[in-house]
Amino acid sequence: MKSQAPLPLRVLWNAFYWTYERTTWQYDVMVAAILAFVWLTPPDWLNDPMASGCGPVGWLLDLLR
Amino acid sequence: MTFTGLIGRICMFPLRLIISTCVRLRIHPNTLTFIGVLINIAAACALAFGRFITAGVIMVIANIFDFIDGKVAVELGEVSEFGGFWDSVIDRFSDLSLFIGLIFLYSQLGRTDYVMITALAMMFAIMTSYTRARAESLIKKCKVGFMERPERIVLFMIGAFTNRMAAVLWVILVLSVFTVADRIILTYRELRETRQAIA
Repeated sequence: MKSQAPLPLRVLWNAFYWTYERTTWQYDVMVAAILAFVWLTPPDWLNDPMASGCGPVGWLLDLLR
Repeated sequence: MTFTGLIGRICMFPLRLIISTCVRLRIHPNTLTFIGVLINIAAACALAFGRFITAGVIMVIANIFDFIDGKVAVELGEVSEFGGFWDSVIDRFSDLSLFIGLIFLYSQLGRTDYVMITALAMMFAIMTSYTRARAESLIKKCKVGFMERPERIVLFMIGAFTNRMAAVLWVILVLSVFTVADRIILTYRELRETRQAIA
């Protein structure tokens, strides 16, 4: 993607067209994003056949209520 | 040093010990590869019966074999073209067996939606390897895209140990689709550039 493109667009393109090696900070950010999705998304939202409940997000929402 | 680099270094300590033991016992790397797939099939059976923690533990053991075979080959001076080919083929069997285990589980639970998601993830996981192999017969290197085998395996383990397999399957599916697309784009661009350079 050309460098004149707006930053958010470039970030999105770089996340899609992945050319970074392992052990780079970009890789770490991607890993953190994936782990956040896996662990924070309530299993009920995904209709998980093996897990149930709202997960950590549910606990947080309960705490805030 | 990055966080993932640090984890890699920590994991290398026990692996070094296992590698040196295999070298001392002169275990052939192709045998290690084969043992790896057999253990992965056991992991697939555990997944099929919904025993995720057991599957996670077995996957860790299986992937130790998977990881060390190449290093043992180097240290024993047994690196061969057939070894590389054998490793790639056996890796595909390992990948497929884990997905099939999950397909069996979800079909037993009557969850057609997750049977389809797992099947699609399996298809794109295999296409990830195929696109690279085929592309590298046409261009020099095709190493783009995030979701390669090590990432997939670690995600499977995380899903098994923390009982978040559904989320893991979504991640594997979406990122494998991106990876296949990345490889097609790169190959198209490289071949176009070569064609233009010749013209």
